[in-house]
This record gives sequence, structure tokens and C-alpha cells, in this order.
Amino acid sequence: MNPLPGTQSNAQPGSAWSRAAARLRKEKVSEAITGYLFVAPFLLTIGTFVFLAAVYALYLSFHKYDLFTPPEFVGLANYRRLLADRDLRIALRNVVIYAAGVVPIQTAVALFLAVLANQRLKLRGFFRSAYYVPCITSSVASSIIFMWLYYKQGIINYILSLLRLPSDTDWLGNPSTALPAIMTLVIWTTSAYFMVVFLAALQDIPVSVCEASRIDGASTWQTFRHVTLPLLRPSIFLVVVLGTIGCMQVFDQVYIMTRGGPLKSTMSIVYLVYTEAFGDLKFGYGAAMAFALFAVIFVLTLIQRRLLDIRIEY
Amino acid sequence: MKRLACVVLCAVLIAALAAGAVAADKVTLVLSGWQASPEEQQLVADALKVFAQKHPNIEVKYEPIVEDFATKIKTMLAARNAPDVFYVDIFWAEPLMSRGMLLALDPYMAKTGTKRSDFAETLLNGFTYNGKTYGIPKDFNTLGLFYNKKMFDEAKIPYPTPDWTWETLREVAKKLTKIVGDPSKDRYGICLPVDAARFRPFLVQSGAQFLDKTGKKCLFASPEGVRALDYYTSFKMKDKSAVIPSEVGAGWGGDAFGKERVAMVLEGGWLIPYLDNNFANVEYGVCELPKGPAGRGNVYFTVSYSVAASCKHPEEAWLLVEHLTGYENQKKVLETGFALPTRVALGDHPFFKSNPNMAAIFKGYAYAVPWQFGEHGEKIMNVLNQSIEKIYLKNEQPDKAMNDAVREIDGILSE
Repeated sequence: MNPLPGTQSNAQPGSAWSRAAARLRKEKVSEAITGYLFVAPFLLTIGTFVFLAAVYALYLSFHKYDLFTPPEFVGLANYRRLLADRDLRIALRNVVIYAAGVVPIQTAVALFLAVLANQRLKLRGFFRSAYYVPCITSSVASSIIFMWLYYKQGIINYILSLLRLPSDTDWLGNPSTALPAIMTLVIWTTSAYFMVVFLAALQDIPVSVCEASRIDGASTWQTFRHVTLPLLRPSIFLVVVLGTIGCMQVFDQVYIMTRGGPLKSTMSIVYLVYTEAFGDLKFGYGAAMAFALFAVIFVLTLIQRRLLDIRIEY
Repeated sequence: MKRLACVVLCAVLIAALAAGAVAADKVTLVLSGWQASPEEQQLVADALKVFAQKHPNIEVKYEPIVEDFATKIKTMLAARNAPDVFYVDIFWAEPLMSRGMLLALDPYMAKTGTKRSDFAETLLNGFTYNGKTYGIPKDFNTLGLFYNKKMFDEAKIPYPTPDWTWETLREVAKKLTKIVGDPSKDRYGICLPVDAARFRPFLVQSGAQFLDKTGKKCLFASPEGVRALDYYTSFKMKDKSAVIPSEVGAGWGGDAFGKERVAMVLEGGWLIPYLDNNFANVEYGVCELPKGPAGRGNVYFTVSYSVAASCKHPEEAWLLVEHLTGYENQKKVLETGFALPTRVALGDHPFFKSNPNMAAIFKGYAYAVPWQFGEHGEKIMNVLNQSIEKIYLKNEQPDKAMNDAVREIDGILSE
């Protein structure tokens, strides 16, 4: 390690060395200022609308607040109420099932698509864009399109009827199929997003590593299984963690397609926060619920870190 | 392109500034409602034109809100930047009144000589809190029984009359159901969705009260309440004569009726322009709801024009509310057949004689309860919806579903 420029050297003050060091320090400072200026707009917006808002939500979670009258301090009462909230337990169960279903499938599909899109084929650019379209489509638009597919007389049932299969399921109106229906939609819209992450990681893997394994006589599958996959571990971790966080916070699709129904089978935690806060004017309680969700996500991320044990292998 | 837009924008801004300088003594009011049908928008625009002629010193900006009106208005009120005059639905009026978000209109009414007795008392009471008036009901609606004339004629069944009983409705719904074995052509007697608002009239007809005297205990689990839930759900569960809209590929009851997949549906006056615009060839009539074991019952929906407590020009805002809810304007709204007037003086308007459909919906008001469940209305409505859903989807028994619902409602009420 070279000593960092600008750290104290043992040179005499006033010597050419220390002058150079001072100049370096100055350059470093002005460089830092320039850098911060560049990111200032972003930092300010994030700071105001994410960080400050989160701090204020934490403050609210210890208060009774109905939006119209000043917040009234209630200590831990909101958090105590959470423990007895039956709806919250249902919602927690739903999002855990939801995440357990969506995350593995979406990760596998994303990896598969990334490997495909990484092949040297004709029209590679077209395929990459085509996979990516669902993910830049507004979630409201895709939810409404899928509602048409899922209707009792929608396209899915029409196709099933052509295949002479039972075709009278109201996919979103049935407590046992509504959540899987939303899962399917989300897998379709988000896989491509994570495909891009894997694609970047695949292109980072040195060609020489793969070539070495081919020379050692490994088949394509063996190379993928024992060389590529272990090297992708950090990005798999990233995709699984981001995917889980996204799943725990599912809201748009629930709000548009089912409103948490039928029979609370698609009630998600964020949807519950929304109904408590805006429907019943319990903003303090809603905030407490949001922080409970934060705690759950935090613990899950820690567990995933343990399990996936990220080491960069090259 | 960008440059052009920029130039245009600057020009507009300069023009606006110039106009502002000229009309410095003009008062500007913002009026908001939810995004309604084009016809209804036109009615508001026409009313504002007349208002502008009467009060040239007041400029009204009409800014309808497209999505999720209640949420948006609540947040705007909290941020103290609400529109000056806006719609308030009776369903969520109470928390706004009890927390001082709305302006008490009584002193302003006194100044211009508008009396509370000019309006239907029951409707006005929905916007009254601690004896003060916080909104003037602009119009109202109840539920009527819409029936498809062609289907009745084909089945040789006489059209519904106000004398129908619960039994008649069930019999007729059974007779009008035609299952041909093709799910896209099957026809059902009636549409009974998972919707507490459509179920509420049957509770009244069965004689079930919502709350006891303390206001903390729900009485829907009484034998009368269970009877109503049993009746409402027996069409679909026992007779197979009812569907929910999604089963016939419809978005809501009115849509199912327009597509002629159901012979009867319970809707309000809003269905009349909807059918005329989208399903003009459907021949329909409207009748009062049938009589239940405890007599007649219905539910009424109403919306007020209210003024935000933070409004800077309350005098002018009141003039606008008064104009929009005034005799002339309500008369015009009624004559276009959109909604029912709230002014007592319009109750015997000749229009009702020539328009039996609107008259049937108007008559329901005499024995209707308001569509609201107080402070926690949203939650209570969801609980009631789920009691219907449990029966429809899980074949639960009505007495169990109702008892569970009331236990949950009592919990909500004691919060």
C-alpha cells in the first residue's frame, strides 16, 4: 500500500515535499467538493423525500395522529396493538407465502433469460428489449391487462376451454387462486429487471476462466454449474435480497386487482398500512406497522446474508 | 420542439401575469369534485357560466380530481391547501366535521336568507354536527329495482310493482334465470354483488337496527339481521338465480344489466345515463324495492358541497355553494335526469309525473337510511362485505357469518 497522498509525511515543514502534499490535499478537497456538488441534487431529494420522511414516520409511530388534529404522544401503544392485530398476521402470512413463491422463480427465470440473452445470436438486441418491456410498463397498466386475462370469461379461460380443460375459474375472485395469480403477474414483470443484473455479472466473468474449464474437459452444463454459477453468487445474493424486499412491499397490484380480497387472501402489509392510514385515519398506527415491516425485512436480509455467504471468487 | 414549448409557456405566463394585474380585485375560488361523466361535467360548467354572469367579481376554477377523491381531499385538507368548495360524501363526512376541517355555514346562510328548512331534513342531517351545518346536500340517490322489460315480456311475467314482497322477488328471479350450458350466454335473474351498499336495504326491510342506544354495540346479529343476510345470499347459494358481476364478465352490476346477462339489478339513478349512453337498446324500467317482512326499506346516498375551514373567502365560497345548490340549478339537474333534488320545493316537480323511473328512485327516500356507518365506516363496510363473501365463496352459514361480522364491528366501535 502506498501512503495516501495528503497523509502526514515525515518531511520538514516548508520543504518541497510538504508543499506538494499541501497541494495534493487542496486538490483532494476541491475534488471532493466538486463531487458532492454533482450528487447534491440527488442527495437533497432523497434526503428530503426518503430520509426525512422516514424519520418523521418513526416519530409518528409513537403518536396518535389522524391527519387533521396535532399528533398526540402515546408511547408504545401502537406497537403493542400490532401484536394483537389479526389482519396484520394474515397480511404477514400472505407476503411470506408470496415472497417464497415469487423470489426463487423470478431469480431462476431472470438467470435463464440472462444466459439466453448472453448467447451470440442474431437479433440479440431485439430479444433483450422484448424481455425488458414488461418491466418498464407501468404496474397499473400491466395489472389491468392481467385482470382481463384472469376474468372468469377472460382469455386464460378461453384458451383452457379450447384445450377442453376446466375453464370456469374466476382467477382473482377465488381465495385459493388470487394470490398465485398476482404472483404470476409480478414474476412476469420483474424477471427482466433482474435479468439485466445477471447479464452485467455474466459479462464481468473473465472469458479465460470459462475457457480453462472447457480445456480441462468440462461440458457446457458442468462449466455453468461449477464455474459460472459460483462466480455469480454476489449477484444472486443481490437479486434475492432486492426481490425479497420488493415482495414484502407489494402494493400496486393488490390495490388495483383485488383490494386485498377475496377474504383477505391477497391482503399485503403495505395495503393494510394504506387502509389503516387513509381509510381509517390512523396514521400513527400505520407508521408503526410500516416499521414492523422494516424490522421483518431487516431480519430476512440478515438471514439471507448468512445463507448465501457472499465471497467474491476471482 | 422544446424551445417552442418554452416560448409558448413564457407567453402564457406573461399573459397570465398581465391578466392578474388587471383583475387584482377579483376573488378566485377553486371548486373540486370527482371526475364524473362528460354530461355531468357539462352540467357543472353550465352552472358556473350562470354564476359568472351573476357575480363577475368571482372567478371559479373547476378542478375535478380523477382518482381516489376521498384520499386526495383528506391529504389536501391536512396540508391546508384544499379547494375552497368541494364534494363531501355522507359516507366520510363525520370525521371531517368533528375535526373542524369544514366551515360551519350557518352564519353565511343567515346573511343570504337560506334556511335549513329549504332542504330535506334527513339529507341535511348527514352534514350536521353539534347543531351546525357543514355542507349543503347537492343531490341524492336511492336504490331502485331496474328490470329488463324484454326478458319479462318473453317470460310472460308482469313488471315489478311496489307491492312485491321478498318471496315475489325470489320467485321471479328463479323464473328469469336461463342456463343454456354456455357460460358466455347463461342469463341470471338478478345481480347481487359482494357489496354492503346493495345489502343494506334488506337489513332495513327485515327490521334490523345498526346500533343500540349507546352507539357502541352493533345489532345486526339479531334474528332480523341474520334473516336479511340469509335472504340476500340465498339467491346465489340456494336458487342459483343470482350472480356477482365478474361471473358474467362485467365490471359492476350496471354493466351486467346493460350487457343483458341479468334481468334485474339494484342500482341508483346513475345507471340511467349510463345505460342511455352505453346500452341504448336495452329497454328497462325502474321500480321501488320490494317489501320485506318488516316493511319497506332503502338506503340513500348523498353528497354535499362544503367549504374548507381554511378557505380565505368564505363569503364568496358560500355564494358559490348557494348557487350550485339553488332552486334553479337543482331544477336543471333534475330535468336532465341525473340526480334527485334536495330542495323540498322541488319534491312535487311535474318532472316526476312524466318520468316514472326517477320517481321510483325518489320514493325510496321516504323509508331510507343513510349510506354511512359513522367514523369507522370504511372498516365496517369491509367487514360486512366479507360476511357476504364468506357465504359466497366458502358456503358459510349466514348466522355464523353475521355473528363473526358483528363481533368484529363491535371491536371497531370500541376503539
